[in-house]
Order: sequence, then structure tokens, then C-alpha cells
Amino acid sequence: MLALVVLIVLPLLSLLWGSIAGEGGLTFSYFVRAVSSRLYVQALVNSLVLGAWVALLSIAIGVPLAWAVARTNLPAKGFVRLTASLAYISPPFLIAIAYVNLFSPNAGLINSFLRDVVGAPGLTFNVFSMAGLVLVTVPHTFPFVYLLAVSALSSVDASFEESAQILGAGKLRTALAITGPLVAPSILSGALIAFVNAIALFGSQAIVGLPARLFTLPTRIYALFDFPPQYGLASALSLILVAITVAALYLQRAYLARRSYVTLAGKGVRPQLIDLGGWRWLLLGFCVAVFGIAILLPYGALIAVSLSKSWGLAFWQNLTLANFRFVLVDYDVTRRAILNSLVLAILAASLAALIGALVGWIDLRTRMPGRRFLDYVSLVPLGLPGIVMAVALLQFWLKLPVPLYGTLAILLLAYTARYIPLGVRAANSALRQVDPSLEESARILGASWGYTWREVTLPLIRPGLIAGWILVFVPAIQELSASILLFSSKSITLAVAVYNLYENGYIEPVAALALVNTAIIGAAIWLARRLGAGRAGGGTGALA
Amino acid sequence: MAGIRIEHLSKRYTGTEAAQGALIDLSLDIPDNEFVTLLGPSGCGKTTTLRLIAGYLVPDAGSIRVRDRLLSAPEGVVPPEERNMGMVFQNYAVWPHKTVFENIVFGLRVRKVAAREARERVERMLDLVHLSGLESRFPNELSGGQQQRVALARSLVVEPEILLLDEPLSNLDAKLRERMRIELKALQRRTHITFVYVTHDQGEALALSDRIAVLSKGRLQQYGTPREVYARPANRVVADFMGLVNLLPATVLEAHGGAGVVAAGALRLRVGLPTEASARDRVDLAIRPESIRISAPNGAAEGVVSARVEERSYLGNLSEYHVVIDGGLRLRVQAPSLADFPVGSAVRIAVDAEQCTAFPASARAEPPVE
Repeated sequence: MLALVVLIVLPLLSLLWGSIAGEGGLTFSYFVRAVSSRLYVQALVNSLVLGAWVALLSIAIGVPLAWAVARTNLPAKGFVRLTASLAYISPPFLIAIAYVNLFSPNAGLINSFLRDVVGAPGLTFNVFSMAGLVLVTVPHTFPFVYLLAVSALSSVDASFEESAQILGAGKLRTALAITGPLVAPSILSGALIAFVNAIALFGSQAIVGLPARLFTLPTRIYALFDFPPQYGLASALSLILVAITVAALYLQRAYLARRSYVTLAGKGVRPQLIDLGGWRWLLLGFCVAVFGIAILLPYGALIAVSLSKSWGLAFWQNLTLANFRFVLVDYDVTRRAILNSLVLAILAASLAALIGALVGWIDLRTRMPGRRFLDYVSLVPLGLPGIVMAVALLQFWLKLPVPLYGTLAILLLAYTARYIPLGVRAANSALRQVDPSLEESARILGASWGYTWREVTLPLIRPGLIAGWILVFVPAIQELSASILLFSSKSITLAVAVYNLYENGYIEPVAALALVNTAIIGAAIWLARRLGAGRAGGGTGALA
Repeated sequence: MAGIRIEHLSKRYTGTEAAQGALIDLSLDIPDNEFVTLLGPSGCGKTTTLRLIAGYLVPDAGSIRVRDRLLSAPEGVVPPEERNMGMVFQNYAVWPHKTVFENIVFGLRVRKVAAREARERVERMLDLVHLSGLESRFPNELSGGQQQRVALARSLVVEPEILLLDEPLSNLDAKLRERMRIELKALQRRTHITFVYVTHDQGEALALSDRIAVLSKGRLQQYGTPREVYARPANRVVADFMGLVNLLPATVLEAHGGAGVVAAGALRLRVGLPTEASARDRVDLAIRPESIRISAPNGAAEGVVSARVEERSYLGNLSEYHVVIDGGLRLRVQAPSLADFPVGSAVRIAVDAEQCTAFPASARAEPPVE
């Protein structure tokens, strides 16, 4: 309880205070400047345009993939699922850097190939543009739409559609009148999450946007911390960003609430699979294209860059592993960054899972007063983009005599606070799967509360807790948006090191470091899967 | 060993669950070593009562004592783990991450029983519930009936004084239910444990119980042996719940000394009456479908009225008829399938007045739930 207040409520209050506290009393001048200066209005407009395009494209990519997997006889469905998962866990700044390597106006590999070898400069694509920014953001956001749409589509029982068909509706009519409306709330909800995530991504907006002088809210806020830092204005801009995010999330929840009639079908759902005939190869082609843009192209580029002495068209003539040696062994900053990020991600994931389990248990199993409040507060960080969280924490801890600024501790606070919602949600859904009678029957057999937790509750929610842990670990190990304002040379993190190296033009070591980051994520997921598999027959799926 | 005394027990829920499952002023004496069933429709408060006995809930008023030891009162409750009871849940609540053996031995480990003795006791118990050889299976490798017996064994192995069972058979198919019913009854006789059993199935209650407490809308309606509750329902609610019953509005023609003659349409019957009843009182008359004889329309004996068949369903060994007697009253009649009366045919019916019960008509207004 206290932890939540310190982590979330107090920093948020100091953010509010910071936005209205002038030199001689309360003032709205920061807000007035934020909404009147062209500089900031343009950033706001850019953020909204970016979010809207990303949301639209996420639907355009996510829905066909989801439909293909859930409702058709598409071959190689596992491949589509893999594409979505890989795209989801890939650090967004990594995709951005990869595309810069391919499509930067002068040095980009594909651009120079088209211009110098093919001789078709008209076909080149400048990644430093709004279109480029959308392109590098969508691979990270379409999985949100995809995942929600898949779960909605697979929970529509065939009987709903069959009843429409027996009443005389054709396939198209059934899809439009029955299936569409049933899953539309989920799709919209996924698109809103994509929107919220897109406008909060500092990394890609800085990497792709800044060279094009394309400012967004997060990059504007970041710029305000150049000396001399303008806390008041930064706070006001942060709150505007929060307002947009919260409005979108509110809409999203409202849509998702309407989804309940789909899940009512409950067990034994039998989705109707459509035989696509020859069309399925076309659909598979679409899936392969998505894989190419979201995975193959960026990772291929990064691997090629990381192995080359100097990035260019003839890269295979100068292959080397020196870049990996440089970031892993020789260069103390990146070494320290890797270590810091590992420690931070492990601690933040464990704390978030622990707090999540406690909050979830209090909410579901007790009648403690204030448990609703606890539940709501733990969701608040969903509405706080990383950079806003950083601004809030800075304001709060700079006022206190505790010298937290520039330490790993303030980063840990930021990460834990940011990802508490993930921990709470994972624990909550795990606990919901465990019928209270499983705990009650241990109690009546004489077991104390603690013994019951150790013997019954914990083993049963363990897979859920591990899932929550990994859900926090993956974004934490690549966290950039909050770290960029909170780090110091001692507490530098992986993503910040990538960004700094990139800023200073070390293209090849950047690629190597980014791949190391991805490798860590992959290893962590593999490990968690091993741990989460549990004992034979111990699955929680069959619980009442 | 352990009888349970419940006095003026009340429990109310707040918020969304209000009215569902509330309990109002329940007093009940459950004798030692008996099989007592709490019977009623869903939301009548029977599960609430069971959870109060187990100590999962704190009563708003009243008390629960076992062997004169106060276990539950509004001021506080002895926690479930210190009550030496067992409980079998509707969904079995067999732990999915533990094997059959680990499930059953749990309570013995809590009680720090030596490993060897524990193993022996678990094996004896497995034998008792016919699960020998399945010790190392996980619950998801067992059928519903087997999981049910694991839950039973787990509760019984610690030798509780009282076993609480919350609709333990409702998730089983009909055949298995019947077999488990017989096994449960035998188990209770052998173990001498007091069983408190919750169900909404009146057939199950009649077959298993030494005593039945009928609950409706949070209030106790009747407490007695299966025979008493079935044959002499205390009021309309009990009669209605204890099986298919014709409930007819009737008028008392004459009454003295707890008996008299009532009229319902063309029917004139000499039945037992509430002692305070007098002539011209309105009463409700409960007649079971199996207490009515149906015959061809020739020959007129006493108590016989003519009727017409309106609907007929063939049930195999029985046929059920809906007939309308002179004066417009509808009756359900069950008769052996040997004779066959087609829809629309004229028949005669005779009612076995001995098997009828009359209630004051006011009982129709059911007690309101607070």
C-alpha cells in the first residue's frame, strides 16, 4: 500500500504541482505556453498524426493476420504467431536504427543500392520523415491489435455464425452482421493500445524524428531538459501527453467492457474455420511480407552491420567480430550498461511480480477497506508514458534530501512503477484461475494461512507470476523513455548506451549492442518458459 | 462425539450479492453421528449455513456450538483450521498440482503425523474409496467420480468429527451419482462421523438423510425425518419443493379436532386440518400425483369425480395425465402405464385423502426476505 503511494501517487502529485507552481505562487503560464507556442502545438499535432497512422496500419496488418490464424485453414500458422511474438518483443529503437541503416537518405544501404547500382534515385525512400517514423513504429504496435483480435475471433463460437447462416445469411453477410460486430470492440481496443504505445515511444521518435526536425511531445519534453532545464514547461507538456493517453485508454476500456458478450460463450468454444482454397497462398504471402518488414529486414540489417568493419555496399568483404568484442569486453561503458540493465530488469520484474501478487490477493480474497483504491492506483502507470514518469520522479526526488538522482535506485523506482500494472494484471488473472475453494479446503484440513500460501496458492499461480515477471523483464531490459532522463554515467543502461553510441555515429558497435539486447531478451524468455512449464499434469487449465 | 447446535444464526450479504444466500434466524440441532441434509433451491441460504459451520464466514447474529464449545459468534470465530472438520466442495477442489497421494496426505502432514503412519492411513483410505493404485496420478488424469473420491478421502483421512459436503454429487452424471450416493451413505455408517450435506435435489436428500432441514429464502421451513418432510410437509413451500404436488385452493366445510371436510371444485375430501381451522376457512390442499387413481368412466364409488384428459405423457413405467375435473380445476395424475386414456377421453378420478395435506391459505404469501 505504502509502496504504491511512494512509487506512483506522490511523484504524480509533484508533477501536477510542478506544472502550476510559478516563482510567486500558482500559475497557468506553463500550460498557456504549451498550447499557444507553435513549437509545442506542432509537437502535439505530430504526436497525434503519428498515433493515428500507427493505429490504422496496426489494424490493417493485425486484423488480417488474426483472422488468418483464428478462422482460416492458412498453412504455417505457427509462423504467423512467431512473427507477432518476435515483433512484439523487439526493442523499438532497434527497428528504428536498423531502418536508418537501410534507408537513411545518403548512406542507407538500400537507398544507395537503388541510386548507385540500379540507377533509380526516384525509388529511394527517406526514413527521416513521418512515413519513416510510422514504418519503424508499426512493427512494435501491430501485435496489440493482432493478439486482441485473435482472442476475440477464437472466442466467437461457430454456433453464432451458423445460426445466422441457417436463417439465410451468406458468408459475407454473416461476417458483416455477426462476426464483425462481435469482434469490433476488441479490434478498436487493440488499436487504441497501439496508439497509446506509439505516441509514448521516445526511442524511435528521437532516432528517426530528430534528424528530420520532426518533433513530438516526448522529444520536446526531452529537449526541455537541455541546460537550463525547464521543469514547469516539461511538467505541463507531460500532463498534456498524459491527458491524451488517459483519454485513449478510457475509450479502450469502454470498448473492451463491451466485449464481455463474446467471452460469455465460455468453455467448449468451437470457432468456424473457413476453407480459403487457393487464396490461402495469397494470405500467406501477406504474412511473409509482414515478417520481412518487421523481422527479416531489420534483423538482417543489424546482423550485417554488426559484422562489418565499415557499413557500406561491400560489407561482406570486411567481416569481423570486433564490434561484439568492443561492446562486450573492451568498452567499459557498454559493459557497465549491460550489467546495470540486467540488475535493474531482474529487480524490477521481481518487485512488480511480488507487489502484483499481493495487490491481486488483497483485491480478490479479502474485504480489506481500500482494496479498490489499491487496484486503481496500480493501473495508473498505464497512462504514464515513460518520459512522463521520469519527469515526475525527477521533480519528486529532487525536492527530497535523499540523493537518489543519478543512482540505479531512481531507475529501479521508475521501472517498478512503470511496470506494476503488468505485474498486477498477471497475478490477478492467475489468481482468478484459482478457485477460492482450493485454498479453503487447505484451511479446513488444518493448514495456516502461510502454509496454505506455500503449499497451494503459490504453486498454482506460479506460471502466472512467471509470465508476469517476463512481461516486465522484456520491456525493462530495453527501457529507454524514462532512463534517458534519469541515467548518469555510473547508472547508464543498455538502451541509453545504444542511443548514445548511435548519436555519436558508432553505427557498427550500436548494431552489435542492440543484438546483445535482443539475445538477452530471448534467453530470458527461454528460461522463463523452462521454469514455467512446471510439473507434469500440474497445469492450471482444468481448474473449476 | 460431535453434535452441532445452531442458535438464531443470521448472515446478510452486502453489495451485489445481497439477498442471494442470506440466512435469517436459523436454529438447528444436528445430533451426533447423523446424516443431516440442508435442502432448498439455490440462494436459499444452505451453502451459507455450511460455510458458517466451517468457519469461513462470520455470522451477523447467533451462535454455532460443537459439543458445547462456542465456535462462531458475531464477536469472532474459531478459524477453519482449528475446527477439526472436513469439507467436500461442489467442484471437489482437488489440488491440480499435487498427486492423488499428495492431496490426501496433506492434512496428515499439517498434523505432523509420522511419514510411515501417514502412508498407511492414506493407503487404507484409498482402499475405502476404491482408488488403490492411483496414488501417483494427477487430478487431470482422473474422471470426475474419481476426483470426487479423492476429495472425500482427503477430508476423511484426518478423521474429522464433522464432514461438510456442498452439493458433492451435482457435477456427476446420473448413473455415477446414484452409485456415489450409496457409497456415501455406507461411508457415513462405517465412520460414525456427523455428515452435514447440502443439496437442491430432493431425491438425494430423501435417500441419504437421517434428517432434512428444508430452507427457503434464508428461513428454515421444516426440520424432520425424510418421511415426515415428504408425507407431512409443514407448509406450501415445503410441499412444493418436495416433489410434484397439486396445490388446490379449497374451502373448509366442517372442522373439529384437527380433521374435517374440505371442498375443492367438485372434490369433497376428509383430511387432516390445522387445529385452529374452522368452517368457511380458505385452505390450500396438497395432493400428490401418485395419490390419485384414474379409471374408466363407469361405476361411481365414494370420493370419485368425473374428469377429462387434457394432456398425456408417457414416462415408461408411468403415464402422467393432466386432467380437468368438473368445476374447472386442473390436476396432475400419475398412473401405471398399463391402462391408457387418450387425450379428450372422459375419466373418473379418486383421491386418497389420507395422503393429502391442508395448509392455511395465508401460507401462500411466502415470508419476505429482509
